[in-house]
Amino acid sequence: MSQEESDISLIIAQIVQKLKGSNLYAQLERQAWGSWEKRILKSLNSMCTELSIPLARKRPVGEQKELLNKWNEMGTDEPDLSLFRPVYAPKDFLEVLINLRNPNYENGDSLSFRTHLGLIQVPLKVKDIPELKECFIELGLNTGQLGIDDSTQVPPELFENEHVRIGQKVLAEQDSAAAQQYVRQGSPTALRAELWALILNISSQPEDILYYEQLKTNVIQHDLLVDSLIYKDVKLTASNDDYYFVFEDYLYQVLLCFSRDTSVLSHFAYNSASPPKSYIRGKLGLEEYAVFYPPNGVIPFHGFSMYVAPLCFLYHEPSKLYQIFREMYVRFFFRLHSISSHPSGIVSLCLLFETLLQTYLPQLFYHLREIGAQPLRISFKWMVRAFSGYLATDQLLLLWDRILGYNSLEILAVLAAAVFAFRAVNLMEVTSLAAAEAVLADLSTLKVMPLLQIFLFATVT
Amino acid sequence: MAGKVKWVTDIEKSVLINNFEKRGWVQVTENEDWNFYWMSVQTIRNVFSVETGYRLSDDQIVNHFPNHYELTRKDLMVKNIKRYRKELEKEGSPLAEKDENGKYLYLDFVPVTYMLPADYNLFVEEFRKSPSSTWIMKPCGKAQGKGIFLINKLSQIKKWSRDSKTSSFVSQSTKEAYVISLYINNPLLIGGRKFDLRLYVLVSTYRPLRCYMYKLGFCRFCTVKYTPSTSELDNMFVHLTNVAIQKHGDDYNHIHGGKWTVSNLRLYLESTRGKEVTSKLFDEIHWIIVQSLKAVAVNASPSLTSSTANDRILKYNLINDTLNIAVPNGEIPDCKWNKSPPKEVLGNYEILYDEELAQGDGADRELRSRSGQALGPKAGRSRDSGRTVLTTWK
Repeated sequence: MSQEESDISLIIAQIVQKLKGSNLYAQLERQAWGSWEKRILKSLNSMCTELSIPLARKRPVGEQKELLNKWNEMGTDEPDLSLFRPVYAPKDFLEVLINLRNPNYENGDSLSFRTHLGLIQVPLKVKDIPELKECFIELGLNTGQLGIDDSTQVPPELFENEHVRIGQKVLAEQDSAAAQQYVRQGSPTALRAELWALILNISSQPEDILYYEQLKTNVIQHDLLVDSLIYKDVKLTASNDDYYFVFEDYLYQVLLCFSRDTSVLSHFAYNSASPPKSYIRGKLGLEEYAVFYPPNGVIPFHGFSMYVAPLCFLYHEPSKLYQIFREMYVRFFFRLHSISSHPSGIVSLCLLFETLLQTYLPQLFYHLREIGAQPLRISFKWMVRAFSGYLATDQLLLLWDRILGYNSLEILAVLAAAVFAFRAVNLMEVTSLAAAEAVLADLSTLKVMPLLQIFLFATVT
Repeated sequence: MAGKVKWVTDIEKSVLINNFEKRGWVQVTENEDWNFYWMSVQTIRNVFSVETGYRLSDDQIVNHFPNHYELTRKDLMVKNIKRYRKELEKEGSPLAEKDENGKYLYLDFVPVTYMLPADYNLFVEEFRKSPSSTWIMKPCGKAQGKGIFLINKLSQIKKWSRDSKTSSFVSQSTKEAYVISLYINNPLLIGGRKFDLRLYVLVSTYRPLRCYMYKLGFCRFCTVKYTPSTSELDNMFVHLTNVAIQKHGDDYNHIHGGKWTVSNLRLYLESTRGKEVTSKLFDEIHWIIVQSLKAVAVNASPSLTSSTANDRILKYNLINDTLNIAVPNGEIPDCKWNKSPPKEVLGNYEILYDEELAQGDGADRELRSRSGQALGPKAGRSRDSGRTVLTTWK
């Protein structure tokens, strides 16, 4: 493990050295992703030049000491962030997706696709409701659910008590596969932290804690431009959230380390996107001058910190929180902001959402389209953030139970469609995009499981 | 009875006035015939004062009991609880049971407290037993965190020792009176911060005791991380959670005001600490409230100033539910009408304690359940993000 430790330090130090006084240039690999990459890097570079801040630098010793002292309350630090802006926001990313044409696709059904009137123009295969019902069979009306069958009107003897007992048994036997199956019906609040750790195969071994400490050391020693972007994002989003503001300091402790974690790069092996690879000015194409920036290959966008925030309700030990988040990211969240044809990728989710709406709520769909309120323009931000910050925390955790349980993000698209179905009556009466946004502005009172259940199992198909 | 309820208030707050108006009640002045008077604390004092006060007639109700300050003034509250405990002990009530160290098993919910300057010498004796402890000084008659400070040296409260030595001619005006309590320096922290609970309790009748707890209470967080370090004793942003204090800190955020709902707190505690210990915590909180009310019957004046938009909505709904319970059916009050309101009317309130119901089952049910024995069907469950059974000891 110590070899890996010194490897990370070496890599970071090398990056810092290479980036001294340089800008980044992208090598265009594929049309859409390439031009997007170029835009992001341009944004980073211009911030770099305008603000005269290097992309990376080694901190002087005095500054290192100061940061170490403040490690538990970086939230009180008030660096001047007014000139920083997020590299991109979800809506910018949506524009990229809308303009996608002819990428690699899996079993596209181009015949029926010609009638698709949504924004996504990529003929990927998505499930219809009968297929979703098969897939999400445990959400059916005859199966007990947490989020429905634990409400006050239902005596706990009918479902809840037994469900809790089974959960305890699963934990006692440390059965990861059983845990994954189990949380499809929701996880009891008291068991959730352990169950998720079991499903994600996270057990805090000494080497894991050491690894986290090593990342922390990197943060102390080197300052990256993206750090300021992270600060800005936390201040703009999580710090203003009714539920998550309390955990501001944890978010820095996780995200600053995350951006230096080169092991995250490995997820790109199964991600058909690639990390933004760049070259030092004047050395385009020369591999020894290539850098992944930031070291983990993930450029944070506006709202990124909201992936971490809900996890603070479950884990308050920083290295455990870090591990859980990293695993959630490389298994799920990365798919929400990279372009691929995977069924859980954001492109498929968008298409699934639009198709569900157009097929099962055609009147609503056409009406919204008519008034210039393409539904995806409203629901996109929900899906990109996996609904974090939009739902009440207890509801969000019930939703994420199912993401883990089914190992799929498709439920996000189904929920988005279910929300539209739920508010259909009001939406039919609006006459502008702004009014439609207003109807859907506040999701904090929604109960996700009844919505999902009704949409999937009680709608006439 | 026909006729609209006539209301008066001397507090110009929209959350009140909107609620009265939406019920079609008629605003009158205090000199006219009124049914419902929402009074400020000052007015209460006048209405119920022995010299200038007047008797309410059968069709009049007000929003405070005459002796509300028995609970809101810190010195009176402490006196009442100490007296209540002694009374129970004298009666031989099992509630007053103590452990081998002399600590109350069920009634130990006030830290060691003394009145200053009256108990100064007693305090010094206690202080010397553990000289490294921290104590908190609170003025008896103030609110919103005003005048509170922490001490860990006797020299810091010399002023009160001087006064106690002066002649009894010196009128110790109640404004100067303080209580000093042992400071609890290992509070539960969330996100490394201290927080307190703001819970709304409505007492509709004292005899029999009938009280309701509003489900939507909230926690108020300090903006600064907690540290028991003595160098930060002067930093009130670390130790006090009152919004009035926090509002002036640099980090105060105006969008959320540093608050969580109680149901959120419950979710967090269940997720991180487990269900049993969380349920026990809330049970004990409810127990403390009911015992304090029994020690004295009071109602205090919650802040009706709203700091954020969400806050305004909360307080509007709170007043709405309060009025629904206090003025049943929106009819002119009749003091002889003493039935429990039907469940539908409660809104976001839950029954915290109903003496008539409790007495029907015998008083030592209270104690049996406190020692953990099962009692039968749970009463009053509420829907929030972690399900609450309000009390198991009804």
